[in-house]
Amino acid sequence: MTYIIILIISAVAQYFLPWWVIAPISFIFCAWKSESAKGAYAAAAGAIASVWTAYTIYLNSTTDSIMANKIAALFTFGSSFLEKLPTAGYLGFVAILLASTVAGLSGVAGYNFRQLFK
Amino acid sequence: MKIIKFLVSTILAVGLTYTLNRPWGSIPALGRFFSPFEGFLSNGESKTSLPPSDLKIEGLKDEVTVVFDDNRIPHVFANNDEDLYFAQGYLVAKDRLWQMEFYTMAAAGRLSEIVGARAVELDRHSRRLGMSATAKEIAKQLNSNPIAKSVLEAYSAGVNAYIKQVAYKDLPVEYKILGYQPEEWSPYKTILMLQNMRNTLNSGSSDYRMSNVMAKYGEDVVKELFPDYPVIESPIIPEGTKWEFTPVPVPSVPSPAVENAGVAFNLAIPEPRPEIGSNNWAVHGDKSATGLPILANDPHLQLTLPSIWYQIQLTSPNVNVYGACLPGTPGVTIGFNKDVAWGVTNTHTDIMDFYQIKFKDKSMKEYWYNGAWKPTTMRIEEISVKGMPTVKDTIFSTHHGPILYNEGQNPTDKGIPTAHAMRWIANELIATDLMTFYYLNRAKNYTDYRKALTYYVAPAQNFIFASNENDIAITPNGKFPLKWKGQGKFVLDGTNPAHDWQGWIPTEHNPTVKNPARKFVSSANQFPTDQTYPYYLGWRYASHERASQINRRLSAMEKATVDSLRSVQNDNTNLEAKRILPEIFKVLDTDPAVSKDAIYQTVRKWNMKNDADEVGATIYEEWVVALRRAIWEDDFKLEDKENKVPMLYPTNDVTWNMIKTKPNALWFDDVTTKDKQETLADMLKKSFKATSDSLTKNYGPMNAKTWAWAVVKSTDINHLVPFFKSFSRLDLHVGGGGKIVNAITRSTGPSWRMVVQLDKGWPKAYGVYPGGQSGNIGSPFYDNMVDTWAKGELNELLFMKSKDEKNPRISATMKIKP
Repeated sequence: MTYIIILIISAVAQYFLPWWVIAPISFIFCAWKSESAKGAYAAAAGAIASVWTAYTIYLNSTTDSIMANKIAALFTFGSSFLEKLPTAGYLGFVAILLASTVAGLSGVAGYNFRQLFK
Repeated sequence: MKIIKFLVSTILAVGLTYTLNRPWGSIPALGRFFSPFEGFLSNGESKTSLPPSDLKIEGLKDEVTVVFDDNRIPHVFANNDEDLYFAQGYLVAKDRLWQMEFYTMAAAGRLSEIVGARAVELDRHSRRLGMSATAKEIAKQLNSNPIAKSVLEAYSAGVNAYIKQVAYKDLPVEYKILGYQPEEWSPYKTILMLQNMRNTLNSGSSDYRMSNVMAKYGEDVVKELFPDYPVIESPIIPEGTKWEFTPVPVPSVPSPAVENAGVAFNLAIPEPRPEIGSNNWAVHGDKSATGLPILANDPHLQLTLPSIWYQIQLTSPNVNVYGACLPGTPGVTIGFNKDVAWGVTNTHTDIMDFYQIKFKDKSMKEYWYNGAWKPTTMRIEEISVKGMPTVKDTIFSTHHGPILYNEGQNPTDKGIPTAHAMRWIANELIATDLMTFYYLNRAKNYTDYRKALTYYVAPAQNFIFASNENDIAITPNGKFPLKWKGQGKFVLDGTNPAHDWQGWIPTEHNPTVKNPARKFVSSANQFPTDQTYPYYLGWRYASHERASQINRRLSAMEKATVDSLRSVQNDNTNLEAKRILPEIFKVLDTDPAVSKDAIYQTVRKWNMKNDADEVGATIYEEWVVALRRAIWEDDFKLEDKENKVPMLYPTNDVTWNMIKTKPNALWFDDVTTKDKQETLADMLKKSFKATSDSLTKNYGPMNAKTWAWAVVKSTDINHLVPFFKSFSRLDLHVGGGGKIVNAITRSTGPSWRMVVQLDKGWPKAYGVYPGGQSGNIGSPFYDNMVDTWAKGELNELLFMKSKDEKNPRISATMKIKP
């Protein structure tokens, strides 16, 4: 349930607000709903990973991934080894991992916050 | 325990969020950058994404209709001129905001603000050139020119309307990567953009190198090896054309005319760049299939992405014009309307001179001039640097212009710097350049063309013209200083008033020709005139090959069509090779050690065309560079690390003429070898060996694939930030070369190819540039025209009669309402 709530609220919020809104949203809803620290991490990280993955796939599929490929190539720093890897995929993975870690840690912090009052 | 858990998790969460929300060195704020909701991914576009059909923008007077064609080129229909230029500003900003601002940052010497310390020296140079200071002054004078003022202000308002409403997620991705925001636009910025072009096209100097040559070898050698006019030339104004004016008196050559080179000159000023040249020509109706003129133009510039040009059609009750404009400047720069077409190539007139300044003391507050001490002015420039403290630079100015360098210390002068002041056309405070294009956009005939040209200052251009009244014309045009013969070929004496620029050549005396007997006009950056022209315009221009080849092709042409002119634009004939290789073969064929060599055989059998797959072209192009180095480097060092007396090589024209007519010249001797006297044959063999060795080392044993001219030349169209490799188009398979009509070098080339067939009814026009309309790297329209360009093809240009015209190529219509 926490997963669904964070997923929906954060998707709408991110459309209008800066990316870091995922942190307070995860904090608030995990403080309110989560049953365990692990549960909080899973719900928040999972929700943000889902939103970012889905939106990234949607944007790439409608734009032939031109942008993702060019930006990914920037991060290979001219290394011919890195250029051979599917860097756009790795880049997306790293991006989603970072965002979901922010959300997961914020969720745990939220859960721990509520524990202070129990 | 609970508190610790809370604190630890909170610190981790906040810490990571903070870390990802700020930039680290050259790494952008990754959280925002990676977010699909606002980061780079939200800039992506597809072939089918269309502009909105309705838009509301404050600041317009009336509704504006914009029709987009299949290349996303906007066709703007406005009910008045202010709205027209407002819409142009808005549309160009929407497609090219980052690029146009980047040019102004470069001209103003502000690149360090965005890229950090690595640009400080470049910025210091730009500021010493004074482009920003001049642009500010010109902007202040706009009140005296109500038309220019209104056009520039409407354009700025349009750009600002876009900047005001653009959300972060739609900002060009370069802003996101480099981590900064666009600033407000203003007429000053447009003028900066023009200053940038003046710098690209009308700057550079070899005056100090010539002074070093004069000091070392004296007048006779200068006359022999650095003459004021080449052996082979095909000037823009056909030889023998009569001058229809009475010349004003030309200042006489003072004595001494050459500044005594007391110190070795070593100014860090770039050489002029003849490869930044261009071609244009127009054939008269007597030579065309339609009976009316056809005009072609291809300006050669640094090949960049986003492209330097932006196509647009601008229509109001007063004008209907189509063509290419520079992002950041209103109107059309090269284009056509219903009645006329025009184009430009660069005129390499000498309009940047250096004066040696004698200061009273170290403070540089006074300098000697006309028998008295004269005060300098002083200005402090503050260069902001990203992530570093601000750098300050003190710039002194004389009445000649700014002091560019003062590193030429002479030990006998007790620490008083020997400085050089620069007189440069780009610092003239005249704001009328834009009016030339304003009037050309609206021109109906030859008289309108001539009137438009009177407003032009710099960068000097060869303005070509054709009309549906069957007139063709060309005018090397700009504001030209009235010089004594040879003035500015060497560093000038800043203490002597006779060395100052002595007024201007009257604009109506600028060389021009209308409907010449040969029935065509053309230019390719060569000498504007033969030696009968009464004024001195400089001694060094692009060599004749492109011009000669164009003129040969056009002379032979009957019933010219768009396609036959397009084939001239793509002509890969190497005239220089045709001139020099037979002379070389004469010598080397007799030497069995060379003549049996497979590499020599290849260049021997080469068809003398720089086509993409020719191996002969590769060998030849490497060889001529090596040959000139072998002949001249011992006598005229380009870079002299030891004595700091850099010079320059005599031109190719002089070199080839010497090989042909003076094969026993002493210059062929390598002066660094004491006991041996080398001959022409030695230089040919030495350079040939160097060429085959270096090609074999770099590209393996000779073979058709890796030695192909296009592969070795490896033409790149780089993004304006060359570090952004993946935003560039690399290794294009194209032929051509710097002295080839199809002037594609490693990094420069035809930045816009246009052919216009004039008509009594409605003209037919074709064009392409190596890029795309969009500056967005995530758009299919970023580089969609590159392949068409590389193949040498042109797109038919959609020149609409009205906004209601139906055409299958129209992909969207946008109404912009106030």
